Amino acid sequence: MTNGWVGGRKVRNHLTGHLFLIGAVLCFAFFAWYPMVRGIVMSFQRTRRGVTTWVGWDNYERIIDDPSFWTAWKNTLYFTVLALVVGYAVPFFVAILFNELRHAKGYLRALVYLPVMLPPASTLFLFKFYVYDPSDAGLFNAILKALHLPTSQWMQSPAMTVPAMVLASTWMNMGGAVLIYLAALQNIPGELYEAAELDGAGVWRRILHVTIPQTKLILSLMAMLQIVATMQLFIEPLILANGAGSQDSATSVVYLIYQHGFFQNDLNGAAALGVLMLVVLAGFSAVYLRLTARPE
Amino acid sequence: MTRTLISQSQLRRGRGRFLYWTLLALVLGVFSLAFIGPLYWMVTGALKSGQEIAQTPPTLFPADPQPQNYIDAWYRLNLAKLLFNTFYYAIGAVVFQLVLDTAAAYALSKLRPILGNVILGLMLATLMIPAMVLIVPQYVTAIDLNLLDSPFAIWLPAVANAFNIFLLKRFFDSIPEDLLAAATMDGAGPVRTLWSIVLPISRPILGVVSIFAVTAVWKDFLWPKLVMPSPETRTVSVGIYAFAGGTPMNVVVAAAVIAAIPTVIFFLIFQKNIMSGLTAGSLKG
Amino acid sequence: MSVPQYRQVAALALAAGLGLGLAACSTKSGSTDAAGKVTITVDCQPVGAQKELLKNWNADVEAFQKLHPNITIKSVSVGAQCNNPPDFTARLQGGTVTDVFYGYMTDLQQVLDSGQAMEITPYVNKDTIPTWDSIDAAAKGVFTDAGKVYGVPVKNYSMGLVYNKNLFQQAGLDPKTPPKTWAEVRAAAKKISALGNGIAGYSEYSAGNTGGWHFTAELYAQGGQIVSTDGKKADFNNTMGKQVLQNLKDMRYADNSMGDRQLLGWPDLLTNAGAGKVGMFIGAPDATTAIVTQFQGKYQDWAMGPMPGQDGTAKGTLGGGEGYFFKKGLSPEQVKAGLMWLAYEKLTPGKGQFDYVRSKPQNEPVGLPQPQLFTVGSDAHKTDLEQRKANANVNVEDFAAFENNPVTIKAEPPNAQAIYAVLDGAMSAVLTNPNASVDDELRKAEEKVNQILATA
Repeated sequence: MTNGWVGGRKVRNHLTGHLFLIGAVLCFAFFAWYPMVRGIVMSFQRTRRGVTTWVGWDNYERIIDDPSFWTAWKNTLYFTVLALVVGYAVPFFVAILFNELRHAKGYLRALVYLPVMLPPASTLFLFKFYVYDPSDAGLFNAILKALHLPTSQWMQSPAMTVPAMVLASTWMNMGGAVLIYLAALQNIPGELYEAAELDGAGVWRRILHVTIPQTKLILSLMAMLQIVATMQLFIEPLILANGAGSQDSATSVVYLIYQHGFFQNDLNGAAALGVLMLVVLAGFSAVYLRLTARPE
Repeated sequence: MTRTLISQSQLRRGRGRFLYWTLLALVLGVFSLAFIGPLYWMVTGALKSGQEIAQTPPTLFPADPQPQNYIDAWYRLNLAKLLFNTFYYAIGAVVFQLVLDTAAAYALSKLRPILGNVILGLMLATLMIPAMVLIVPQYVTAIDLNLLDSPFAIWLPAVANAFNIFLLKRFFDSIPEDLLAAATMDGAGPVRTLWSIVLPISRPILGVVSIFAVTAVWKDFLWPKLVMPSPETRTVSVGIYAFAGGTPMNVVVAAAVIAAIPTVIFFLIFQKNIMSGLTAGSLKG
Repeated sequence: MSVPQYRQVAALALAAGLGLGLAACSTKSGSTDAAGKVTITVDCQPVGAQKELLKNWNADVEAFQKLHPNITIKSVSVGAQCNNPPDFTARLQGGTVTDVFYGYMTDLQQVLDSGQAMEITPYVNKDTIPTWDSIDAAAKGVFTDAGKVYGVPVKNYSMGLVYNKNLFQQAGLDPKTPPKTWAEVRAAAKKISALGNGIAGYSEYSAGNTGGWHFTAELYAQGGQIVSTDGKKADFNNTMGKQVLQNLKDMRYADNSMGDRQLLGWPDLLTNAGAGKVGMFIGAPDATTAIVTQFQGKYQDWAMGPMPGQDGTAKGTLGGGEGYFFKKGLSPEQVKAGLMWLAYEKLTPGKGQFDYVRSKPQNEPVGLPQPQLFTVGSDAHKTDLEQRKANANVNVEDFAAFENNPVTIKAEPPNAQAIYAVLDGAMSAVLTNPNASVDDELRKAEEKVNQILATA
């Protein structure tokens, strides 16, 4: 309780404390807490020609009736799950790999993190124009052709749209995860590995029985953070697929929010969809934390 | 050397050694290709003419380099202004965050005013809210406050960063009480203590916060797109996207390269700090 | 620093910050002051990349201000595409539009809905716009709601078939007789794509709302309509809509004459056209302008024919255009000033956009059949036509087929942008998925459009 300062200063400290807090608190108030409430309120209203009316569940009904609604959730979930497999498992194993190497670690770390620093717009235009070009002039198709593998239509093929977006997104973002895992791996006591080896465990079993259990906390946290982040997919569909993509295969939930708010002039519907998204994600986080917060 | 998955001794002997070096070479090769390759492709692709880009199979090196694309991109997209804008917003965001978030974290950690815990709780609660969910109401709020096309539309929301406050507070919490008590004995008030004692020690964490703040502003897309609609105030990512609609492909990619250069330079200079910042944030999860 | 000192510094910092912030906010509105001096802000000033256009605009502003010394015009550039739907919407919602702001003909409802529109009926007359009565009634009508005028048209267009004469010649087709029906288009496309080298015989949009825009044009050619006459329901899920998609699907997959790259938006198709990789596409005459000025193409390569019909002449084609709206809350003097500027820059033969003597050497096309703002037979029209012919720098013959075979022009549907976005899906489906079902795609699109219309 005590912060070390004596007696009469306490009042002044409280005042100073509040003074120090006021800047941040105001910013939070205007740009976090108030919008939270406002978003919910807006989702139950309708503003037309300057007049705002209460419309109950109308906006929600309209959003759910949008033929792209379920597609957007499907695409987003598909992206999230695929990203979990590719963009979550891969960085972990890459980190393990890097951890074993005794040379060039600094170089590899910098290499893998560099794309994270680039503006996503830059990277995605690169992918859109040069890498995913559906003709044989695109980088990936040229490589596939050289390897005598069938080429793909990439973003123009509804089946390949989400995987292509996952690939681009993983390339852009895996560096951060790799570094975080690396740091966690370095905290594993070496004796555990020695013991495992003495017990005759091969490399894979050592990973299973030592590495993973030791990094469980960070793995679990990263999984949740990744899921929440990838569910907010927006810029990849926007730039790679011009929005909805081939046959609506790229529409994400956030893109739908954007579409309603800024193409269809329907900010209230957009707010409603935002609230739905909040419910889903907050619910997921709560359940996830409950499940993983077992007493250790 | 700390023992990792595979023991050091294994790697020195015969087959283990051979495998190790092969693997190392493979990893270096594959990763270099995978991570530098696309960047190389981007830079050289922007040098190719429209005809050459459409050629199959693609050429490894531009047959007839056209630096004109880069010059076109610079002038047509007004990249000078866009880059300046983005710098301006990024630096302002850092300043605002350093001043206001540090002050708040310090207050929450050391000064402990009344309701401090409530405020902290409310701030941390925002970590549970995904950013995109708030986009529409935040945008409407920005309009109401008449902040469109004003840099404050980027600076003020940037301060509302609970993760920063969490990091800063945790760091401040770890500063031993005796240090502060000693200062009080000498008659220093809370401000003095902050300025002369706490801040100098906190340089590493402040560095981390600054780096993340700059990166966040530079990479942000949807929010600046909404609140900085005028071509005069746009950020570089939004500007490139806006112009992609009327510019040949090569010029767009050339612009993308130019937009990426500052981040690469920034990265190369601050590499160590970035890496250590990430790991610091990850310890203890 | 002691606490009182700190407070001082903080207050100063806050004030400085606010001052900076306010200064950083650009002013978007003009004013009228006591001395009778009027200032107005006008947007859609050409961007820096459009060097000549920008020079002309600035020269015109100067000349206009000399003629009317009490009026000051502040020009604002809003990007290369003056009405980019999300940005336009954002500007309307945020109230950051300029006093006189650009919009498409289809934007009237959105502008009215946003509450930013100003009625200008009492101000539009021969004094402010001398050629007002000569302006095409349909063009004016689009900016009128319930008898009240809210905007002034400055450009109109209708769509036809744009084709590459060079490629026609190479493929053994007669560059003077463009295909008149979709069957002929298909046959021509096949021949042209046989030239190989990544050339698409016929190219089509399917992204960024342009797919839906073209679907609409092609549907009109079939004699169909997007929405029912009362504007309440979608009306394209029928044989005519299906025919549109089927034509495209046939060319794309049965003949493979549309090239590999799809999901094309406005710049993508034109980039390909500028690089000589497109044989034919649907467009308005200003598409050739874009190809030459922005995408490195050549005027000599391009010609236009009328919109192809299914079994003969097209039953209709899409027309559209642009104009300027006025922001709510302007003073009468400002409205009049705005109207006079628009008249000067956009609606007077021989001046501003119709100053052909000036545009001729600037690589801006003179002699294109559009815009056709003035009613045929009026004096303004006659003057404009003469000047056009006298200063033509494109081969007017190339557009003869288009000009001499006028097709009924139908306006864009209400909520056009939202509907186009939906139809993009149907277009992209038939162009990227060989197994797409035309019936399914139209049905899905119909549902979505009905939703949009229900909530409008």
